[in-house]
Amino acid sequence: MSARTEPREVRLARIAATKALKGDTATPARVRVIGCGNGDRGDDALGLIAVRALRRRLRDRNDVEVLEAATGLQVLDVLEGASAVIVVDAVHSPCARPSGAAIRVEAGPGGLPAELATSVSTHGLGVGEAIALAGALGRLPRTVFLGLQVTSVAPGGLLSIQVADAMPAFVDALEREVRSLLAEVAS
Amino acid sequence: MTHKVAWTPNRLVEIPSIARVEGEGALHLRVHDGEIVDLRLEIYEPPRFFEAFLEGRHFSEVPDIVPRICGICPVAYQMSAIHALEQAFGVTPPDGVHELRRILYLAEWIESHMLHVHLLAAPDFLGYESAVTMAAHEREALERGLKLKRLGNDLMAEIGGREIHPVSPVVGGFSKAPRRAALQAYLPRLEEAREEILRVADWTSSFDIPPFPRPAELVGLWHPDEYPINEGLVRSTEGREFTADAFENVVEEQHVQHSNALHAVFADTGMPYFVGPLARVNLNWEHLTPTAVDVARRTRLSSPEVDPFASMAARVVETAVAIDECARLIEAYTPPREPHAHVVPRAGRGMWITEAPRGILYHRYDVAADGTILSARIVPPTSQNLRHMERDLRLFVPGVLDRDDEDLARLCEMVVRNYDPCISCATHFLRLERVEVERP
Repeated sequence: MSARTEPREVRLARIAATKALKGDTATPARVRVIGCGNGDRGDDALGLIAVRALRRRLRDRNDVEVLEAATGLQVLDVLEGASAVIVVDAVHSPCARPSGAAIRVEAGPGGLPAELATSVSTHGLGVGEAIALAGALGRLPRTVFLGLQVTSVAPGGLLSIQVADAMPAFVDALEREVRSLLAEVAS
Repeated sequence: MTHKVAWTPNRLVEIPSIARVEGEGALHLRVHDGEIVDLRLEIYEPPRFFEAFLEGRHFSEVPDIVPRICGICPVAYQMSAIHALEQAFGVTPPDGVHELRRILYLAEWIESHMLHVHLLAAPDFLGYESAVTMAAHEREALERGLKLKRLGNDLMAEIGGREIHPVSPVVGGFSKAPRRAALQAYLPRLEEAREEILRVADWTSSFDIPPFPRPAELVGLWHPDEYPINEGLVRSTEGREFTADAFENVVEEQHVQHSNALHAVFADTGMPYFVGPLARVNLNWEHLTPTAVDVARRTRLSSPEVDPFASMAARVVETAVAIDECARLIEAYTPPREPHAHVVPRAGRGMWITEAPRGILYHRYDVAADGTILSARIVPPTSQNLRHMERDLRLFVPGVLDRDDEDLARLCEMVVRNYDPCISCATHFLRLERVEVERP
């Protein structure tokens, strides 16, 4: 029943995002962090878990907005309206990488590098395609992608040991990225 | 890897998916002397996992669990589940709930149909590899499509509390109903959408769509008073008529060796059938709204029409139905005095069918006296269309065997994607491997 009692910060972030989309926000977030994934599929939840941890650390800041997204299309909808965006997602890369390895890439005008450009979703677009489409439509702000290589994304599975072990350092890295982007957009 | 080769009479075409998170989806095609000797479509089905996951849960958890089956049509799963459980418990929701559910579900149709038309179908028919490569050339159309899709998302979020996994629908009604002013704020956007959907109709009618005439039996809900979504009789274009209670007698799900998915056929004839927007438009032509009639005229869609590639026009027509209906219902909306009925569980069984964007979605629940789910059965539209997709491929492929492998794979994906199946995205990056097969 947890889904029915939405935490206050989640609700506020959602309202802020809706307002930002409608263009009626007084002070748009300078940095928006978008955690992606499916909470019911093992390591695919890592993006959601990381941004929830980040939200607790940054709860007093009003220039950082933390959102959650389940599909690439949701990401497309919230890429606009911030000075800089950090997208956090699970990575199932064809490149040989150990489970739990961290990946950081900056999106160019054409989106993410080829390795991450095609991601996976049952419908529509994956996160990689959403970023590329935003780029093609001229809607892509400064965007950094942070991810961890997954071990398993089986339905109903838990977070793998490798990803769980990597999580504290990953959240630290995410927080550093936020502070670095805030400094960058302020200058 | 993908590469072009000249056509040879004997070939083996495998279109396996690349490493995917969401499971298996692949097409295997084997040709000897210009004849198809093997054609198998494999699609992974997440709902099967959820059936087991629901057993032992309390009924009140079901509306929170089933929308997680799909990020594009969560409302469909909620609505079939909620109606089935209300039937099992003999619950009648308060006045106004029917209308509010209808707006919520129609908003999902807008979102899902506009996604498919603009990001999946249009690149196919215009010859682009993807929506991303199409964006530079069709920016205005794409922006318009995304704006319409956003309208559906926002309306879903307004009523459902959240757009991806709505939280307000419960067994008995809604945990909370939106204020009148909150919904009325959407009327100007719906008015604008009425104009925009005509532009979408004009745009899609300019596509060069290959004709694919073949007989087919289309199945969907029919309702005497309205364009059906949450309730109705099941009818087919060949004169069948039955209720949700009879679904498991009329439809047989068969295990096939090559796939972990079940294939649905009519139990009496063993024949596959076709569900989705084109079925609904055919069966409910008399309920098209004024804007939808205009869209049908512009897209040259008429009834009866069973050509599968007319499905895109049917999606545009249904988006117009949804826009007109949402505007009508919101104009008349006042929040229900009680947003939900008091629900007392009892032992029993409930079976219900609603119209998901992709076609009829069947849910059946057996419930214990304390409200615990004993068993669940979910038959999604993609599963029902699987056998028909294979049939279409068998009929379509011989006409395009002169194409090189890359083109052939693209055309096969187009046939599959036209059904808007749960692998619609995955087929965008199916990889083609060609293996020469020696003559026997």
